[in-house]
Amino acid sequence: MQTSSDEKVLIGSASFPKPFANGLEFNAPAHGTWNIVHIGFRIPGAHQIYICADNCLRGVVMTAAEMGELGRFSSVVLEEDDMTHSGRIEETTIEGVTDCLNKLSKIPPVVIIFPVCVHKFMGCDIGYIYRQLESRFPDVKFVRGFMDPVMQKRGTTPDQRLRKAMSDIIPELPLNADTVTFAGSDMPASANDFKTILESNNMTVKDTADCRTLEEYYSTGVSSLFICQYPAGLMATQAISKRLDRKYIYAPLSFSYDTVKKELSESGLKIPEGFFENGIRACEEELGRLKKLAGDTPVAIDYTAVPRPLSLARFLLDNGINVKTVYLDALDPAEEEDFRYLAENYPELVLHSTIHVVNRRPVRCAGKVLAAGQKAAWFEGTGNFVNMVEGGGLYGFAGIAEFIRLMEEAFINEKDLRDIIPRKGLGCRSCI
Amino acid sequence: MRKTYRILPVYTGDVSGAASALYELGGMTVIHDPSGCNSTYNTHDEVRWFDQESLIYISGLNDIDAITGNDGKFIDDICFAADKMKPRFIALANSPLPYLNGTDFKGICRVLEEKTGLPCFYVNTNAMHDYTKGQSEAFLSFAVKMLKGTEEKIRCGINIVGMTPLDFTSTDIYITDGHETVSNWALGTSFDSVMNAAKAELNLAVSSSGIAACEYMKDKFGIPYIKGLPWNGTVKEYMDVQRSYSKNYIVGEPVISGSVAAYIKETYGLDFNVIATTEITDGLLLGCDKRCHGEEEIEAALKDAETIIADPMVRLISPDRAKFIELPHFAMSGRLYRKQIPNLLKPEEYLYGIK
Repeated sequence: MQTSSDEKVLIGSASFPKPFANGLEFNAPAHGTWNIVHIGFRIPGAHQIYICADNCLRGVVMTAAEMGELGRFSSVVLEEDDMTHSGRIEETTIEGVTDCLNKLSKIPPVVIIFPVCVHKFMGCDIGYIYRQLESRFPDVKFVRGFMDPVMQKRGTTPDQRLRKAMSDIIPELPLNADTVTFAGSDMPASANDFKTILESNNMTVKDTADCRTLEEYYSTGVSSLFICQYPAGLMATQAISKRLDRKYIYAPLSFSYDTVKKELSESGLKIPEGFFENGIRACEEELGRLKKLAGDTPVAIDYTAVPRPLSLARFLLDNGINVKTVYLDALDPAEEEDFRYLAENYPELVLHSTIHVVNRRPVRCAGKVLAAGQKAAWFEGTGNFVNMVEGGGLYGFAGIAEFIRLMEEAFINEKDLRDIIPRKGLGCRSCI
Repeated sequence: MRKTYRILPVYTGDVSGAASALYELGGMTVIHDPSGCNSTYNTHDEVRWFDQESLIYISGLNDIDAITGNDGKFIDDICFAADKMKPRFIALANSPLPYLNGTDFKGICRVLEEKTGLPCFYVNTNAMHDYTKGQSEAFLSFAVKMLKGTEEKIRCGINIVGMTPLDFTSTDIYITDGHETVSNWALGTSFDSVMNAAKAELNLAVSSSGIAACEYMKDKFGIPYIKGLPWNGTVKEYMDVQRSYSKNYIVGEPVISGSVAAYIKETYGLDFNVIATTEITDGLLLGCDKRCHGEEEIEAALKDAETIIADPMVRLISPDRAKFIELPHFAMSGRLYRKQIPNLLKPEEYLYGIK
């Protein structure tokens, strides 16, 4: 099947994994997802320095400002002369970063440097820049970030590479067989079966998304196992487990009972007796409540709420919830089985692009719509939505049950859409 | 170092400025950029999304298209969107990578005009300048491409030029000296309204962003212009109010700051010197005023300050002893102080603490 040039397509007619043709892009004003600034601040005490043009800089510096974190943020502005003089861009970067650090009252232990697309296109000698900075600031650990959205659509994204660079500074410490770390995500593990099982096994659980000090962050280097539950963090998790010669598990929030059972069973962890049965029962009870509440209310889901939106759509539809629309722009190859299943069994399910040129105004359906995710809420114009990004640290039966509970809550209590969704980085401090 | 910023944000950039200027004019603005510019613009530099739609897009440029200069895709995508959305015109804005590879935007505009039949113009941005430059280029390019001369004149008709939400929160301009507003460039306005601009007898540049378009209309249509905000219902050139050196400073965009300084001089008899921190300043400053570029220069210029009127973020680099009067500016502090931004045209609301 061909990709659709329209803004929406029925899943029964959609192509996989690219349902929509590329074109000009609109940006919906829903900003709960995390960007590289939010992610970088997950390293406690780290300072971020961006070296880029004014217009590009504006977005990141205001992200930091809105988080109340300007004290941990500096910038170096690139101008035309940096691009027309040979060697100038390296000089501006080195001297600019040096100047930024020297202006701080105390040199931070970790500094994340963000060169940009222009550095790449100028053939800038990045290695030379880091050698110079490391010789000038030998006590600083430099994390090699990049803000190059031109690479967003091909290969690894700046987000993925930043997560890897952030994990590269975690030192190799003597292995502690009883310590496990959740890694690669921005949302700390919450209603999460892995966490419950680890704690019932008397394991020490750490979480790179929830470290209060740099020492705590570094201490994850003792872990015997890393658990990644967010696709963009997989590369980082694979890299650290390879470097430290430790195991890792990749298990993003799935709404398939069988997948949860399989992933937990294959984890090598001791599963408490009756865990699966009790977990499924809890999910079914929540589902019963949701069905009773929502009835035939149309439901819309978007890709920013959970890493596997089609898994969620399939689960809800199979359980009698009236999912009408899934907002996404591309399909994760890991969701192919769910895609095929939905295409065959629910061919009328609508896939709706979030960036297509005609999408500048909310759909604003008549009647109540229950949404999962900020973009779905914005497009549907509904205040009845689950305000979540990246799966919210949920996993397993506890995660599924919690997600359904949040849908019930969203159905009952309308949120202030206009106040909530322009705020950036859900879970981060917002000063606006 | 001039190019480093320790604590202040940079001003809104030129690309966002261009998009802001054209937002209400019924066209389609396409930023040739990977992905950063649109998010920055619609998150931090644009407040109208919820209440008023506009056709602002990015091209979604990727590395291969940038390296190979794949203009064909850019053109096809614009044609597709124009066919779907039927804009009044197409405006193209540049960003760092197409700037580096020398993309021929004017040539692309010619191709687009042939293919779509729509007027198409290039707004000369590259993301390396502030919003005043982008707005100025956008207003000028729009005027050059779209405005037609006319014999018909509206007696005492006036165009307000250089007004966007990046500087202004309100379009309530109380003019009681007989002038009648013909068009506003470009807040609370429309395509049809600005297309009447050539009928005006006078242009009023309310910010530095409006100067270039006013100059063009002066040369092309013989419409004279003056600069400044109208105080007490009177349209007046702010540069005519003489001010002397002092240690009282007003920091910001020069026309607005100069107008506020003129108001203060005339109302309170106090001298305030402008520290112009945006790019377009030629002919907009008196001898006592100063142009500063970047955080270091602004901080140095404020060292001896007794009173400062500025965006609250400037307090971070101001001497503690100076009296500070907050005048939030959306193009600097963005959404942080948005709720506190006063109506610039009602100075009594934000200058009450000046005495």
